[in-house]
Amino acid sequence: MDDRIRQLLNARLNADVTRRQLLQGLGGMAAITVVGAGGVRAASRPGSAAAARGHQQTLGGPLNFLGYEGEEAPNVAADFLASNGITMQPSYVGAADEALTRFQTGGRGQMDLMAANKDFQRSVLDAGIEFMMPLDPARIPNAAGLWPAFRVAPWVVRDGVQYTVPLIWGDEPCIYDPAKWPEGPPAKYTDFADPKWAGELVWLDDPFTNIWLYGQSLGYADPSKITREQLDAVVQAMLASKPNVVAYGASLGDMVDIMVRGEASMGIGGWAGQLTIAREKGKEFAVKSPEIDGTFYWSDAYAIALDAPNLDNAYAFIDFMMSPEANAQIATELGSACTIEAAFDILDAETQAMFPYDVVRAEDGGVLNTQVVIPPQEDEGDIVGAGAWSEAWQEFKLS
Amino acid sequence: MTARPSTAAVRQIGPATGFFLVFFVVPLAILFAMSFWTQDGFERIPGFDLANYLKATTSRLYPAVLLRTILVGFVTAAIVVPVAYALAWLMRFTFERRGRLILGVVLISLFSGYLVRIYAWRTILGTEGLLNAALLQLGLISEPITALIFSPWAVMIVLVGLLLPLAVLPIWSAMTNVGRDHVEGARDLGATGLRLHRTIILPMVLPGVGTAFALSFVLAAGDFVVPTMVGGAQGGTMVGNLIANEFRGSGADWPMGAALAFVIMGLLVLVHLVTTRLLRVVTRW
Repeated sequence: MDDRIRQLLNARLNADVTRRQLLQGLGGMAAITVVGAGGVRAASRPGSAAAARGHQQTLGGPLNFLGYEGEEAPNVAADFLASNGITMQPSYVGAADEALTRFQTGGRGQMDLMAANKDFQRSVLDAGIEFMMPLDPARIPNAAGLWPAFRVAPWVVRDGVQYTVPLIWGDEPCIYDPAKWPEGPPAKYTDFADPKWAGELVWLDDPFTNIWLYGQSLGYADPSKITREQLDAVVQAMLASKPNVVAYGASLGDMVDIMVRGEASMGIGGWAGQLTIAREKGKEFAVKSPEIDGTFYWSDAYAIALDAPNLDNAYAFIDFMMSPEANAQIATELGSACTIEAAFDILDAETQAMFPYDVVRAEDGGVLNTQVVIPPQEDEGDIVGAGAWSEAWQEFKLS
Repeated sequence: MTARPSTAAVRQIGPATGFFLVFFVVPLAILFAMSFWTQDGFERIPGFDLANYLKATTSRLYPAVLLRTILVGFVTAAIVVPVAYALAWLMRFTFERRGRLILGVVLISLFSGYLVRIYAWRTILGTEGLLNAALLQLGLISEPITALIFSPWAVMIVLVGLLLPLAVLPIWSAMTNVGRDHVEGARDLGATGLRLHRTIILPMVLPGVGTAFALSFVLAAGDFVVPTMVGGAQGGTMVGNLIANEFRGSGADWPMGAALAFVIMGLLVLVHLVTTRLLRVVTRW
């Protein structure tokens, strides 16, 4: 039953899982083409940097991973793990906060490596919860190659201390059938209320994606922090579009499946990796964000749990994954954008063009670092929390 | 003097009882206790608070979904059971020699995965699906019927399709205890047609019918995958979806999810008891 929950009923966070599952297999092949098997092998120099700095690393034995499926890099890191005698012991989460639940319910001292999304990690850091350990940058020398945006990101660094290491990132554009809509989506999400979209729309079944996008369309400065009245206004705006919605995709994979089957021609809250899935099924789609409203950005990052029993393995693994070759390969495999600057040059032109890399070139991190998608966990004064968003989404679906 | 169970009996039921206790009763008890807790941010606060139950029964959202869930479950079971009964009758009496073959054909769908079967239904009911293609080919429609999929009706059709094999089994099993001589005797005494089934056959297979109804009703009402996959914009929310949402992602509220689970469990038991009692009354007329 857990598998069904994880795989089928996912919102934005869970959709990440599906994205990975769907692309992992074919991505492994593609990545080998992009990077070359030898490239990644050459990049695995376990512990060399740390050893040079005098740290005595003891590699080998287990490495416990808890995070999104695929981000333990079974294909990319296979040689690295084998050559260092490390046994990856992965457990997967459907949503990022499951790792925190595990940690707080007896998992402390048994968890090593974790992977989660930026908004969750940011909220954990904001809340000051004991969970992720402060990292020693000297033990992850390859992370120096991160794009500028990721070096100062608020979900990476807090009070000058680094807690996470970004692995991949991306955005959520509209995916559409260009044969039917040559000009792509309208300029604003609220324009989807136009009757010309009747029977054409598929949305991701996720409160955070849709409420955020329509909040953006209504012009809220920070759509993740809205009042009850603003949330009601967002729901009203979404209801205006609802008559045109055919279905809500249970995941990003399901969403594109609905489009491939011809049930819908415009997906809202999509992902560039869906193009690959569609192509595998013989359909050519395109992605583009509404010109005025734009979209939001996500990123997943590694972290190490406090009291991790296999610390050396965790550090060495993260450092390996930060090598340009490994980062390019994992980005390709997971249909995402790379976080290491030098990895970009290794990607093929098509993969490079899938994501707007200008976002991560900004020295201050730009919109990727200022943007928050997931609302506060609890109400904060007039600002409504995630629970209210979830209920509003369910009420919207029932209306 | 109370009779004590024999050692052999304890040995026989011990493992199953132990498994049931450890992996069902204990987790259920924990979940029940949690339903009185509260959620604060990422933390669950132990305590005894009826707020979750109050919210589950009085808020704008939950009662409507609970009602819809019960309705979908009931209607699905009300369709599945008569169809399964008719099928079991055909297998037992009309095509007695090929009964097991037909049963095998009916059950063969269970050999495929649950999700595979749902996707198969999507292929059948879709706008470009088999059914629409056939109707177009036959000239019965000029354009595909879009309402076949992504609607509340699609949810019921798929649930009926998925649950029918499960409902046939207990009814057919009960019907194997009905002899042909019972049927012929009843007919000789003037009980034919509907009266034969209501007064003779149905009382004899009532345990099987009750089990089939309970299975169909509980599984349909508890399903949250089918509504998500084929319910579309209008038919995609049942209480299972709400419970699933309460246990995952930001905004998750495990205590609320636990309370919802126990409310729907109570309602399902209630509806089942009432229906079983009604069925008994009907067969006594």
